[in-house]
Amino acid sequence: MPSPLLVPMSQNTPYIVEMRDISKVYPNGVRANDHVTFAVRPREIHALVGENGAGKSTLMKILYGMERPSSGQIFVRGKPVSIHSPHEAIALGIGMVHQNFMLVPSFTIAENVVLGAEPVRRRLLDYKAAVAITRQLSAQYGLEVDPEAPVEAVPVGMRQRVEILKALYRGADVLILDEPTAVLTPQETHELFTAIRQLVQSGKTVIFISHKLREVKEISDRVSVMRNARLVDTVDTAAVTEEQLARMMVGREVFLHVDKAPLRRGEPVLQVRSLEYVTEAGVETLKGVSFNVHEGEILGVAGVEGNGQTELVEVIAGLRPATAGQVLLCGQDITNASPRQVRQAGVAHIPEDRLTNGAALSMSIAENLIVDRYERPPFTRGGLLQPTAIKENAEWLIEQFAIRAPDGDVPVGSLSGGNMQKVVLARELSAQPKLLIAAQPTRGVDIGASEFIYEQLVRARDNGVAVLLVSADLSEVLSLADRILVMKDGQITAVFDNTPSLTEEEIGYYMLGVKRMSAEAIAARA
Amino acid sequence: MESTIPLSFDRIAARKAVQAERRRSMLIDLGVTLATIIAALLMGFIVIALLGKDPFLAYEALLTGPITRLGRTGRWLELATNLILVGLGVSIAFRARQFSLGGQGQMVAGAIVAALIAIYVPLPPLLGVLIPIAAAMVTGFLLGLLPGVMKAYLRANEIVSTLMLNAIVLRLYDYVLTFHLKPEGSATTRSLPVQPTAQLPTFYELFGVDLGRFNLGVILVVLGAIGVWLLLERTPFGFAIRAIGANEQFARYGGIDTRRVIMLAFAAGGAVSALAGVHLLLGVHRRLFLDFVGNIGWDGITVALLARNNPLLVPLSGLFYAYLLVGGDRVEQQAQVGSELVQVIQAVIILLITAQVLGDWIRARRARTQAEG
Repeated sequence: MPSPLLVPMSQNTPYIVEMRDISKVYPNGVRANDHVTFAVRPREIHALVGENGAGKSTLMKILYGMERPSSGQIFVRGKPVSIHSPHEAIALGIGMVHQNFMLVPSFTIAENVVLGAEPVRRRLLDYKAAVAITRQLSAQYGLEVDPEAPVEAVPVGMRQRVEILKALYRGADVLILDEPTAVLTPQETHELFTAIRQLVQSGKTVIFISHKLREVKEISDRVSVMRNARLVDTVDTAAVTEEQLARMMVGREVFLHVDKAPLRRGEPVLQVRSLEYVTEAGVETLKGVSFNVHEGEILGVAGVEGNGQTELVEVIAGLRPATAGQVLLCGQDITNASPRQVRQAGVAHIPEDRLTNGAALSMSIAENLIVDRYERPPFTRGGLLQPTAIKENAEWLIEQFAIRAPDGDVPVGSLSGGNMQKVVLARELSAQPKLLIAAQPTRGVDIGASEFIYEQLVRARDNGVAVLLVSADLSEVLSLADRILVMKDGQITAVFDNTPSLTEEEIGYYMLGVKRMSAEAIAARA
Repeated sequence: MESTIPLSFDRIAARKAVQAERRRSMLIDLGVTLATIIAALLMGFIVIALLGKDPFLAYEALLTGPITRLGRTGRWLELATNLILVGLGVSIAFRARQFSLGGQGQMVAGAIVAALIAIYVPLPPLLGVLIPIAAAMVTGFLLGLLPGVMKAYLRANEIVSTLMLNAIVLRLYDYVLTFHLKPEGSATTRSLPVQPTAQLPTFYELFGVDLGRFNLGVILVVLGAIGVWLLLERTPFGFAIRAIGANEQFARYGGIDTRRVIMLAFAAGGAVSALAGVHLLLGVHRRLFLDFVGNIGWDGITVALLARNNPLLVPLSGLFYAYLLVGGDRVEQQAQVGSELVQVIQAVIILLITAQVLGDWIRARRARTQAEG
């Protein structure tokens, strides 16, 4: 297949990295990259965008030596190379910062930066030199860190800077940042962008993987869009709008605008009273959390991940035992009830991690759809499962929720992230819950499916369901929620009515702990 | 794997494509299994030739041994009956992803309890068979429940606990047999025979066809395979077992009482495995003696793995494995190839099949050619 020449060649600016006609086919037959040609100019911020599963991570893993391409060539500074390992990539000046940080939590920042290429004196780690190196790099590139603090004690934003310093210490000229803002607050994102600009000024090149188009618009010079394993186009960022980028990503016009009926708030459905949770390791992750969710409203829980949201959801769902406090559903005490009892009381739960909790990948769609009701009629009669009823249920829900699958016998593991999430959504909503807990409902889901999920959540709300929405995506919370509650360090630090004047920045202050509402104000609104 | 589904989504076309793909992959599976067996046999062939033995003679014995004389055919079918029953039992726990190694102990315990009834309690025909069978199943159930409880409520590793229980049961068996069941003054350590009404009649006794000790216990295989399939695929309990096997956290999230199901999966498996013990007692040996079960409990695990824990395939893999074992005996006698070598060939076959090396390789090649084309 002839690949269109996407990037005009220029004699004056040879590319620092050029990947020509790259294809990658995994042994299971999945084609992740299809004749992709991708080129990066020196000293540019090059965004690589695409929906989940579009192939951007695979392309970058190939560049970083973690995967081998099935065909195609890579050039670094004009020379053909073949990269067999991250080690070789680093030797070529290519560094990568992964989404999940690869740091030793108990080591100090300086130790982490030099790990693997330590300065030594008399065959021992020269710790002073390590600290000096870290300080120097930190100052040079404007990546502020505390070299002597252990990594486990510093915030996520600083950990990310440590990862970047690590790559720079190893001599990276080209930095691949894999969805770097996914874990950051708006303020931290802002700091990261300042640092990225400074890196580019001092001669580095940055490849920025993302699917947040607003950030891409803000930070990048050029942007390459991937869709369905192919590179759609590479364009100057200034020449396109967010909407145009979105259209390139999904191949059609998308409006992430949510239509909601006016709020009709009814009786409280979920009442959480002074809930506390201490992990098995003794860490207090919920410290006296109290709030209500009413019929017909969406209560959004905002917060940097890891501030107790996961525990809150799992305690309510019966997956973790509460240490103290009470959970009431329509007045019925469901504190520490089993997951089945919680479900029978009328709670549905879209879990944060659908791969771990929400689905059994090797089971069929039809089986995944009945895991909470398989032993009841019509699915079981006279002690035997009823295959016809199970099949019809699957066909009905596949139709209703526009799940892209030929039939209900397909294993869930063969679906894309968005369709997998639709299976979870279909099951949980068809349980006709009184309370729907939606934890990170659109994480790793493409725009088309996200839009559909928003519609479904809003429809449930309009039908009188109480919805507890937990999301790390602030714009999601702002566009869906009627009230917003902010969690920080296992406590509620603010509760807002969602009015048009409420901004992401304002919420961000509470997420970071810069601001905090008084206990009375919280109690009055929660 | 969106790529298998066309972009403009036409459900009927997609369904046809998927169904065609399913048929194709079933054919490939079948072909892969056959090719694996042939490849393994070829490797064994080469090894024997390298050792200076006559590979043709050895292979003639291996491949035709079990069917060239009725007695050996009977031995094959009788052994297969045992292996299939144990295989069915362990596959239940395996489906819940619990690696129970308790088949051996469950067989022995089932046999010993059944023997107490079958030897000493005179019962009318039919009941004489059914009651010991029921007793063995209850025993197996209880013996399975034990590691189940330990796993579900105390998080005891099931591999360790089932192995230890096997050791305890086997010693207990030796003790009961030697000091309580062995008649006074008997020279050999063995029990009295079971009551005539407790015997599972052999095909020779029924029809005069001399298939050795092959007996009506084969009915247990048919009922067992269908029963275990029904249990796993058509009951809510089986659904829970499969959900736990597929993803235990998901099962718990969905409201399944995972501890209870895991416990009962161990127990149900024990009840089925115990059938092998009672078949040995009532149909094959008709009395107890030392080392009564041999290696059957272990070979049954291999049989379950070969069948990928599919109860409808366990009979096939049991027949296949028993064939290898009986044929292997013939190789030793006929071609003077040591039993170790025979076991090596058996192991190679099992390894190639369970590791699915060949299958993965063929599938990867196929994916690659499709992708290029």
